[in-house]
Amino acid sequence: MQKDLYTQLVKLLPAMAVAMFLIQAYYATYLQVWLHPEPLGVTQTYRMDKRVSSVLRATAYLSGCKVLVGHAFWIKVLQYYGDATNSKDRYSKLYDYCSLASDLNPTFLAPYTLGAAALTFHLHRPDEAVRLLTKGINSNPRDVSLKLLMASIAYENSEQYDKVVPILESQILTGDAPYMMVNILANAYEKAGRYQDAVQLWQRILRQTDKDDVRIQAAHKLQALQEFMRAGKHPKP
Amino acid sequence: MRRILSLASFTFRELIRSKMLFIWLISVIVLCGLAFLLSLLSYGDILSIFMDLGLVGMEVSGLMVLLLSLAVTYTTEMDQKAIFLHLSKPMTRGEYLLGRILGFYLVVALVVLGMGAVVSALVVFVGGGQVTPLFIDSVVFLLLEMFVLTVLGLTFQMIATSLVGVVLYTFFTIFLGHLIGQIQWLLEKQLPAGIKVVLKVIYYILPNLDIFNLKDRMYDPTLVLGSAQWQEVLAYAFSYSLLVFLIGWWNLEKREFM
Repeated sequence: MQKDLYTQLVKLLPAMAVAMFLIQAYYATYLQVWLHPEPLGVTQTYRMDKRVSSVLRATAYLSGCKVLVGHAFWIKVLQYYGDATNSKDRYSKLYDYCSLASDLNPTFLAPYTLGAAALTFHLHRPDEAVRLLTKGINSNPRDVSLKLLMASIAYENSEQYDKVVPILESQILTGDAPYMMVNILANAYEKAGRYQDAVQLWQRILRQTDKDDVRIQAAHKLQALQEFMRAGKHPKP
Repeated sequence: MRRILSLASFTFRELIRSKMLFIWLISVIVLCGLAFLLSLLSYGDILSIFMDLGLVGMEVSGLMVLLLSLAVTYTTEMDQKAIFLHLSKPMTRGEYLLGRILGFYLVVALVVLGMGAVVSALVVFVGGGQVTPLFIDSVVFLLLEMFVLTVLGLTFQMIATSLVGVVLYTFFTIFLGHLIGQIQWLLEKQLPAGIKVVLKVIYYILPNLDIFNLKDRMYDPTLVLGSAQWQEVLAYAFSYSLLVFLIGWWNLEKREFM
C-alpha cells in the first residue's frame, strides 16, 4: 500500500517540478524589481583602459562580490594617487579610477570624498570633482559630508554654482544642514548675483541661530547687502 | 522522518571525519587576515570594510566546503558504490536525497555561522564596534543561498556521471547565478531576438543568486527589507530548492546503478 503510494508520488514528480518552476519563475521576476529598483549604473571611463574596467566589472558581477572587488580596487586607486610618477600627467586617470571604484561600491564614501578633494584642491579640476560628488550624492542622498564638500567646492569655484546650488538648497530644506553649508549657500547666492535669496537666507540664519558670533556675522552681512541693494553696488564678500 | 534524520546525521559525521572543518579553520585565518590587511591598507571606515570582507569570507568558505564535500562524497558514494549500502536499506530514494541534503547543509551552515561568529567577535571585542542588524540579515540570506546551492550540488551529483562534471556544473552555476541579476538589464538593450530568448531561458532556469546577495546592498539607502520581502525571498528559496530537489529525486529514481 505504502509502496503504491510512493510509486504514484514518483509519477507525479514531473508535474510537481513544472508547478515549482512556474512559482520560482514568478518570484524571480518579482524580486528582481526589489533588488534592482534602478537600472544598472555604469559610468563611462575616459582616460583609463576600457579593458581594465570591463574585466573588473565582470569579475565583480560574476563572483557576486562587488564590494570586495570595489575595496581591492580602491587600494589600487590609493596607490595610483600616492605614486609621485603619476604627477607627470597630473593624475589624469584619477577621476576614472574613483568613478570605477564607486561603481563597484556605490555606498562607500571614501572614493567620493578623497577623489573630489584631490581633484579640486590639488589638481584644480573642479568639474570632474562635481561630477564625482553628484554621483556620490545620488547614491547616498542622506549623507551630509558629501554635500558639505560640494559646498566647499562651490565656494572656491564660481563656475560650478549652477550645479551645486540646487544640491545645497535641497539639503538645507531638509533642516539637517550644518551652519557652514548655509553660510556657503548664502555667499554663493551673493556671488551669483541672487541678492534677494542671499538676504532671505541671512535673515533665516539670524532668526534661527542661538550663537552670538553667527548672529553678529549674519547682521553684518544683511546690513552690507541692504546698503548695496539701495546703492546699486556690489558688496564686499 | 527518522530515516531521513539518521542519514543526515550519518552524512554530517562522514563530512566532519573527512576533515572538512580544516577548510573552515584555514578560511578563518586566511580570510580574516586578508580582511584585516585590506582594511588597514585602505582609506575609509575600517570596521565596515572588515565586515564587508568578512561576509565575502563566509560565502567563499561555505562554497569551498560545499564543492569539496561534493567531490569527496561523489568518490565514495558513486565511484566506490557506497550508495548501494543506503539504498539496500528500507529507505526510498527521495528520503536518501533529502537526508544527504540535510547532512550537507548542516556542515555548510556550521562553517558559515562559525565564520560569522569569528567576524562578529573580532568586530565587537577587537574593533570596539557593533554588529548591525543588516549584517545578521546578510548572514541569514547567505545561509539561504547555501541551502539552494546545496540542493543544486546534490542534484548535480545525482545527474552527473563523473566527479569533474559535478564540480564544474556547480561551479559554473554559482558564477552564472550571480550574473542573473544583470540579465534583466541586458534584456532591456537592443539585442537580436534569438539572443533575448536564450537570455530569458537562462534567467528562468538558473538560480538568481543576486536575490540572496544582501552583502552588496548593506549600506544601500534604497534598500527596503520588511516582512513582505522576507516572505518573498523565503518563498523563492523554497520553491527553487524544491524544484531542484524534485528533479534530483526523479533522476535518482530513473538511475540504474550497476
